[in-house]
Amino acid sequence: MKPRRFALLLLVVLSLLAAACAPPATQAPADQPTVQEPAAEPTAESAAEPAAQSSGLSGEVVVGCAHALSGPIAIYGEPIRNGIMLAAKQINDQKLLGDATLSIVCEDTAGDKAQAINAFQVLINQDKVVAILGPTLSNSAFAADPVAQEAKIPVLGSSNTAAGITDMGDYVFRDSLPESDVIPNTILVTKDKLGYSKVAVMYGNDDQFTKSGYDVFAEALASSGTEVVATETFAKGDTDFSAQLTKIAALEPEALIVSALAEEAANIMIQARQLGLDVPIIGGNGFNSPKLAEIAGPAAEGAISGAAWNIGNPAPENTAFVEAYRAEYGGDPDQFAAQAYTAAWLMATAIKNAGSADPAAIRDALAAIKDFPSPLGTYSFDENRNPVHTPVVLIVKDGQFQVFE
Amino acid sequence: MFLQQLVNALWLGSVYALFALGYTLVFGVLDILNLAHGAVFMWGAFFGLMAVTRLDMPIWAALLVAMLGSGVLGIVLDRVAFRPLRKRNAPQLAAIISSIGASTILVSLAQGAFGAQVSRFPLDALPSQVFITGPVRVTLIQIIVFVASVVLMIALLLFMRRSRSGKAMRAVAYSGRISALLGINVDRIIVTTFFVSSALAGASGVFLGLAFSAISPFMGAPIELKGLAVIILGGLGNVPGAILAGFLLAATEVFGVAYVSSDFRDAIAFTVLILVLLFRPSGILGTAVERRA
Amino acid sequence: MPPFLNDLWLVYRSVFEFALIGSALGLSMYVVLRTGLLSLASAGFMAIGAYVGALLTIHLHVPLLVSVLAGALAAGGIGLLLGLPVLRLSGVYLAIATIGFGEVVRVFMLNIDSVAGRTITGGALGLNNIPRKTETWHLVLFVAVLIYLFIRIDRSRTGRAFDAIRQDHHVAASMGIDVVRYRNLAFLLSALIAGAAGVFSAHLTYFVSPNEYGFNGAVRILTFAILGGYLTWLGPIVGAFLLTFLPELLRFLGPYRPIVNGVVLILAIIYLPRGLVDPRFWRKTLRRRSPPPPAAPLETSG
Repeated sequence: MKPRRFALLLLVVLSLLAAACAPPATQAPADQPTVQEPAAEPTAESAAEPAAQSSGLSGEVVVGCAHALSGPIAIYGEPIRNGIMLAAKQINDQKLLGDATLSIVCEDTAGDKAQAINAFQVLINQDKVVAILGPTLSNSAFAADPVAQEAKIPVLGSSNTAAGITDMGDYVFRDSLPESDVIPNTILVTKDKLGYSKVAVMYGNDDQFTKSGYDVFAEALASSGTEVVATETFAKGDTDFSAQLTKIAALEPEALIVSALAEEAANIMIQARQLGLDVPIIGGNGFNSPKLAEIAGPAAEGAISGAAWNIGNPAPENTAFVEAYRAEYGGDPDQFAAQAYTAAWLMATAIKNAGSADPAAIRDALAAIKDFPSPLGTYSFDENRNPVHTPVVLIVKDGQFQVFE
Repeated sequence: MFLQQLVNALWLGSVYALFALGYTLVFGVLDILNLAHGAVFMWGAFFGLMAVTRLDMPIWAALLVAMLGSGVLGIVLDRVAFRPLRKRNAPQLAAIISSIGASTILVSLAQGAFGAQVSRFPLDALPSQVFITGPVRVTLIQIIVFVASVVLMIALLLFMRRSRSGKAMRAVAYSGRISALLGINVDRIIVTTFFVSSALAGASGVFLGLAFSAISPFMGAPIELKGLAVIILGGLGNVPGAILAGFLLAATEVFGVAYVSSDFRDAIAFTVLILVLLFRPSGILGTAVERRA
Repeated sequence: MPPFLNDLWLVYRSVFEFALIGSALGLSMYVVLRTGLLSLASAGFMAIGAYVGALLTIHLHVPLLVSVLAGALAAGGIGLLLGLPVLRLSGVYLAIATIGFGEVVRVFMLNIDSVAGRTITGGALGLNNIPRKTETWHLVLFVAVLIYLFIRIDRSRTGRAFDAIRQDHHVAASMGIDVVRYRNLAFLLSALIAGAAGVFSAHLTYFVSPNEYGFNGAVRILTFAILGGYLTWLGPIVGAFLLTFLPELLRFLGPYRPIVNGVVLILAIIYLPRGLVDPRFWRKTLRRRSPPPPAAPLETSG
């Protein structure tokens, strides 16, 4: 039959096209990079101590990575994977684990909780990983982390900010500062400098990350005695915010607080300016991406972000990370990449310190990490396996994030 | 504030109407739910973006490139996903599955080619002019999209009513079998339908890409649901109905936010949709011909 | 069990469980399709069941069976209330009305996050720490009970009425079949099944949140029934198993996985447009190999 053959042919062509287009980086685990470029590895002296005299480590140490690499959440999954792969490459180049190599196996969660559970099962039972980095969303973490907890495999999230993540068990870690560690300080600092007394709030109410951020903002605003004249919501995937912003503009707030991710926030900024709402716009971790200024252009000027990471931090660990990232991927990293990169380094350091590939020993070594120099700053875990480091307040000036002073 | 919200509603309505134009065409002529329309729309935006950033084309030329590119993509889509089903006389529901498959492929290809990140047209692709008259602010792109949706609607209506292909399309929409008996080349008409519908999708991809700086492989999904609601609310394949429904949905959303609560915006919009359907079971302007799903 | 089999079971146990939940959801879609209606309300019903069940477990610590019954009844009650007005619609108009219902449910789940300081649904944060109470055998039993139910329906007056209505509801009505009543019955059954499936799934994944049950969820359930085939009860089950296992088995493809997934979907529906379980097709194919059985009368629908 003719149409049948034609359809088949087209499908084959499409698949070939796909093969040509798809990013090759995801395919293979980044074990033993073949090209060794010592010049491109400026972290050698900074990010970690010289090669370990590791005891019981040899061969391949397999660490799983379960992140959203397809579907809409891949927008965060991609920089996260980039950060992890970059770290793995450096860790192996520097022989952090002595004779052993760190091998990262990535499984796609598609941002879906069922697939996250399945990815964890595959990593634990088939790939026999000693630890897992991930998953991308807090939603997935609530579903999949119990699987790792039950199997006694340490799991380290680098983008889970919801309350209660590490309450799931003693094998569950995260290195992403929850909004509750970032936002109260942001409100304090900006209120002091900008002197606003009535604000309007906008947030995405169907997203765990933006909703958590809103809850903390609302509490911080209330305790700082700031009047909230309007609270407006939007949904994931919305592009038109003019109805909400018109309503807000009519109430003449002195600042606009936005709990949104960078891509949405950028469009909110553009439209707010178009509607004549020229007040300062303040947000949390979600703002902290080069995409904010890239998309919003001049509308992003003066936007303030409370954040866990400052791209301009002059510490050598950070400059080395930013430079290596640019060299490898040809663009600035965002906070997701920085936290994922740090997570991979933390895990590798725990493996090194444990001196064995035993998950229980790695868990203990990870929990014991104190004052680790990282792009996020001097990093420690607290007794509940949550991150401890100093957050920053950033402002967009000339299209770049700078420390807000 | 009311006047500005009215402008906002007209604006959002023209966005929905623009997207729905091409969508309702395939739906009306072929009676299939094409869940890959959002993916074609997304590719249209990328075709336009590539024409501007890689080939340094002016925006109007990029629009033409996007329409042509999406139109061809639509024909390919038909060849791969829908034509084989027609040849086998498949039930209409089968087309939903193959369109989902096609949509998955198109979105993944875009992710492979462009990454998952959000991009935008260059800042200078279109002047970001704001017109202020009294209490109302309108941007240049809003006016352009509004005018474009009206012009394209009129062009599409004229095409359907006056041109040979358009008349043949309506005949095929009424009954493919009878059209074939009347000597109409049904296959050619269907290819034309897919081309026109997808070119319109590509045009709306470029316009909405300019209006909202949110071009990504996943930009089709959120508007696809709204578009689906609009074309069904308007009545099967009814072009003026879809336009009207687009403005109705937008007005419900905008005034829902303005005077009720943004929390319940979508619940209000869909409740209104269900209520309208209970009174007009074949859509606002639909005829009461019963068709099977 | 030999160790490699044990590993295989550990890797695919949760996939198997999700496939069983999917089977139940596919059947909840199938029962309505059987009366010639296209409803996408199953995801909304599933959400109602999941939340009712999870809240009962968290706050009142009731046994799973009680949660399941309560979740199913809650979804069923809403299904009855919804069905009375909307089942007058047909074709895509019913489809979009039921999608609208799902969106309304989702928005309510997002917004009744807490009342007077007490957490209700948790909004977008969802409900976490739901104890894992669903065992694999519960799901096997659940699906087995559904299969038994559908076999009974097939052989009953109700089943024949369903089929008559699907083929032509005007003719069915003129034969004295109460079309409205049977369609409401099918819709009620659909809601009960989806509600129960929702409770089981909530107690399987420790966590529920409103966004799982939106438009995408509804379309996914629809694909189970259509790709599997909605002419027999076996179709939606086969569809659910294929569509749940396929992405997992394709993991080795890395970034090409969604593409191949889409290609398989298209090829499957093109070669088997009435679904994988198309009795007519398989009878014909098998007949070519073996001596022909007596020709059976076939219904014509589509």
